[in-house]
Amino acid sequence: MNKTHDHFRVPLSDTYRRKSPFDLLVEHMGKIRECIDLLTGEMIQYYKGDYKGFSELARKVSAFEHEADIIKGNIRNHLPHSLLMPVDKGKFLWALREQDAILDHAENLVQMLDMRHTKIPKELQGLFIEHMMLVAQTVKTMEDAVENIKDLVESGFIKKEREETKGFIHKVHEAEYKADKKKYDMTKKIYQIEKKLMPMDEYHLLKIADWVDDIADHAENVADWLRSMIAR
Amino acid sequence: MDIILVAVLGGVGALGFYMAWNIGANDVANSMATAVGARAITFKQAVIIAGVLTFLGAVLVGSHVTETIKGNIVNPNMIGDSHVLMLGFIASLLAASFFVTLATWKEMPISTTHSIIGALVGFGIIAGGDACINWGKLLEIGASWILSPIFGCILAFLVFKVIVKLIFSRKDPVESAKIVGPAIIGITICLIIISLFTNTNVGAILGITEMYLIGIISALAGILVTFLSAISLRKIQGRSFQDYDTVELLFRKLQIGTSCFVAFSHGANDVANAIGPVAAVLALSTGNDGFNALQAVPPYLLALGGLGIALGAVTWGHRVMRTVGGRITSLTNTRGFSVDFGAATTVLLASNLGLPISTSHTVVGAVIGVGLARGLAAIDLRVIKKIIYSWMLTVPLAAIFSAIIFIVLRMIL
Repeated sequence: MNKTHDHFRVPLSDTYRRKSPFDLLVEHMGKIRECIDLLTGEMIQYYKGDYKGFSELARKVSAFEHEADIIKGNIRNHLPHSLLMPVDKGKFLWALREQDAILDHAENLVQMLDMRHTKIPKELQGLFIEHMMLVAQTVKTMEDAVENIKDLVESGFIKKEREETKGFIHKVHEAEYKADKKKYDMTKKIYQIEKKLMPMDEYHLLKIADWVDDIADHAENVADWLRSMIAR
Repeated sequence: MDIILVAVLGGVGALGFYMAWNIGANDVANSMATAVGARAITFKQAVIIAGVLTFLGAVLVGSHVTETIKGNIVNPNMIGDSHVLMLGFIASLLAASFFVTLATWKEMPISTTHSIIGALVGFGIIAGGDACINWGKLLEIGASWILSPIFGCILAFLVFKVIVKLIFSRKDPVESAKIVGPAIIGITICLIIISLFTNTNVGAILGITEMYLIGIISALAGILVTFLSAISLRKIQGRSFQDYDTVELLFRKLQIGTSCFVAFSHGANDVANAIGPVAAVLALSTGNDGFNALQAVPPYLLALGGLGIALGAVTWGHRVMRTVGGRITSLTNTRGFSVDFGAATTVLLASNLGLPISTSHTVVGAVIGVGLARGLAAIDLRVIKKIIYSWMLTVPLAAIFSAIIFIVLRMIL
């Protein structure tokens, strides 16, 4: 033990955490939002055929992923069995895990796109950009939901705040649903013009739609875990 | 003979004073740290409040627990020889002081109360066999050690639930807080006044002994204080619809009141740990034949203990408050208020019943209560295990120390 000794007898001070796990969850969320914001802009450039600086993006996303991993580890390693939290610890950790999966998928996406620069055909560009915006929107609403958990804790889990959080969670579902629909539109369109596409290009376009949509899926999963976390 | 007696009394007094200093330096500071951590009061204010109110608590309500320690653990009539008894109380005080110093150095979360009780039992068994120990009383005290954290936990849980239901859940939390907060402070004042009347000479001095009169007076005082604190909060305005920050700000002011309550009840209960044995030695040296357990504890002894505690809080306690207060910054004012109220009410109640309990452990119980009411983001329950170990460790160890010191003293003197 490298704990410093003050020579006090203070059982009280052992009961507290320096930082609340909820604060850390919001901090982790902050990294994700920052990363997805950056990603959205660069992806639109990519869709438009501008690959300049994309390798740089891949490096930045990896850095974000690493930073978020450190926060995640910090949360997970400091939730011993003896810790009493106002919510189910298991569900809290699942929310965290899903939140972290968002960056894993973002990292995968940029790595893959960086390996093969696929040109997005003119007729698909609009749809792809709209889809990216909807996915970013899903993550944004998810951030509102995660941040509201702090208010919930602060107010001692009152009904009003719980309803508010539920409202945010509902919005996440809505945004994810729109992103899903857009993905099907994209897929349909890809099949419509498949005669014009090289097989490998078509494969990669379908994959891009999936990879980007994965981000929204995991944002929805976070919202689902939050919902079950705050249930009575 | 007289000179020796004076020297012995001086030595015992100094030892009791040291023990009181220890309580003030660590335990009082520990309970005040809640308010410091929640930034309701500054270190300086905490030191002043701790000094003044523990002194008052000790002098006004401290006699009950002191009498328990003085004559209710070891039955003096079973030992008879006042010389042996005197040595025994001196040995107990020495052992407890030594053990508390050791534990503080080693950072064990033990309680001064538990060590003095253990020490008394240790000397009692050696001096008069197990027949001279008042096992019934001891069982009662043991039960109170388990019950007091639980009671503190329940009270803090309830107060926090009241705050959530009557303030946070309301449409305008700030306006609700301006009524509910002062009302709880009023209840606090009411409790203190009832305990003053029922347990001290205040009632006799003022010529008021009827229960209904006491009830009316304390209720009136409670209402008066409610109004006064409501008026002092009048100017604070909420900024927005869900303004929890302003609610916390209101409670920051109210927590000054509850931290005074904590200091007061702390003094009332813990002064006995230091002064109980001193009072016994004094009674033995002045009493002509034998020992009168019912003889009242002289107020100047309580004042000496109160002074020791106050001095401990002033000289050393600020270090504890600063460190602990810095560690528990996640505690907000509504939570701190609930913890203070739950713990202080429990401690005052125990003092009125003459039960020596551990304040620090009661505070921990109260914190857990707020946690169970979903009021804290995370609390580590490992502390419960530590406290239970300290219970099991303190009493036998203090008993053994005191027995050894007693045997040595008896051989020398």
